[in-house]
Amino acid sequence: MSATTDFVAAQNQNRRNTMVLLAVLTVLAGGIGYLVGALLETESSGSLPAVSQMGIAAAGLMAAVSIGWSAISLAVGDRMVLSMAGAKVIEQQDAPQLYNVVEEISIAAGVPMPRVMVLETDALNAFATGNKVGNGTIAVTRGLLNSLTRDELQGVVAHEMAHLRNLDTRYMVVVGVTVGLIALVCDMALRTMNLGRMRSDDRKGSSGGGILIIVLLVVAILAPLAAKAVQMAVSRQREYLADATSVQFTRNPNGLISALGKLAEKAAPFPGVSRATQHLFIVNPIHQFTSKTPALLATHPDIEDRIARLRNLGG
Amino acid sequence: MSTWIFLGIVVAIGLWLIAVYNGLVGGRNQAQTAWSQIDVQLKRRHDLIPNLVQVVKDAMAYEQETLTKVIQARNNAVAASGNAAQSGPAEAALSQATHGLLALMENYPQLKANDNVMQLQEELTTTENKIAFARQFYNDSVNTYNTRRQSFPAVLAAASLGFGPMDLFNMPETERAVPKVALR
Repeated sequence: MSATTDFVAAQNQNRRNTMVLLAVLTVLAGGIGYLVGALLETESSGSLPAVSQMGIAAAGLMAAVSIGWSAISLAVGDRMVLSMAGAKVIEQQDAPQLYNVVEEISIAAGVPMPRVMVLETDALNAFATGNKVGNGTIAVTRGLLNSLTRDELQGVVAHEMAHLRNLDTRYMVVVGVTVGLIALVCDMALRTMNLGRMRSDDRKGSSGGGILIIVLLVVAILAPLAAKAVQMAVSRQREYLADATSVQFTRNPNGLISALGKLAEKAAPFPGVSRATQHLFIVNPIHQFTSKTPALLATHPDIEDRIARLRNLGG
Repeated sequence: MSTWIFLGIVVAIGLWLIAVYNGLVGGRNQAQTAWSQIDVQLKRRHDLIPNLVQVVKDAMAYEQETLTKVIQARNNAVAASGNAAQSGPAEAALSQATHGLLALMENYPQLKANDNVMQLQEELTTTENKIAFARQFYNDSVNTYNTRRQSFPAVLAAASLGFGPMDLFNMPETERAVPKVALR
């Protein structure tokens, strides 16, 4: 881990990391589309073309489906999250301090005031959702409200506001859709190849696609795993980025540091939390990630590491 | 042929000017929006202070001098608002007087049991924070805008397009500190 000393440098580094990861994901999805298309063309024509037009078409189709699917997910995703058990929109008089803190941070971030929600559970957690700046929601649990000081609450709200301003929720939806699509296509490819092999057994040696089939077989097995790992890596980068942005807003790393300390102890699962929504929270409500868990498949970085990086920012 | 090259260069310069212009307009608008937010919060503080004095004045009957000083500072700040040069020092003086009052309130336990006082306390804290954050965002926006208009090549066009430098909003150090008042 490189020693970042200010939040601007930390943010830039995180953005670069995310861009690299997204590029990897795009190449992966496009490559699989191309391979599948190329294989289909080989099957029908009996020889392996240098540049497969069906391959290019399939890669384009992957991109189009990914965009369309993302748009639909973004349109309905909010409602799914907000129907979480016990979530309810509050006004200033319901929880004045929380509402005031959200207002303060929205001024610091220069974004419109989001909706504020409280989740009726004793677990300590918070999340943000929204598909564009100006249409966001920040939710915190009742347990969090009861056990954090004003400064700590400010740090947590600033972390969530950072997710909104950096459009992380939108980011993760697009990444999630691409990963889902890769898994789907690989699954289909594996099934198709089973049929294909049976047919080519009958015909005997119309090959040329033999190598291609082996390549596709390996890719179809490994790609979904790789895509999942990339998705988790993106998620972790965005958490670091939100922590750094939180400090930009509050200019006070200590609030978030001591809040993360408390959250680490009491981030229990609660009704409505599922694997589909776990990445939204400030700390993962289902799994506790420590330095010993295999980092490859964790949605969030180890809390100790997050705290260490925050201290690096002057805490 | 050379006519086309000439035309191409003219169009390229035109597009570049549009980009510079739009970038600077965006930056200036963001700073101006931030400025109006500071204004809103300063006014909010002007409204809150008389209310706070109203609810504590019976309990703090022996602190007439402090209460008068706070109201006086508040009235001065209201009178100075709109005048950028006088507003800064007047708001700073008001902060100081407010801190004095909030510190004195510590000596009156019966105030800590009063919901109304607690509520005004929270309101005043959040308003102080909002003033600080709005100023922070305003100054960041101004810095970004000034850097953009001084950077090459925008610096060649900025002045002739009518984009002057903007001033940071400075307040004496006292303004920045949030009142530390524990009512528990």
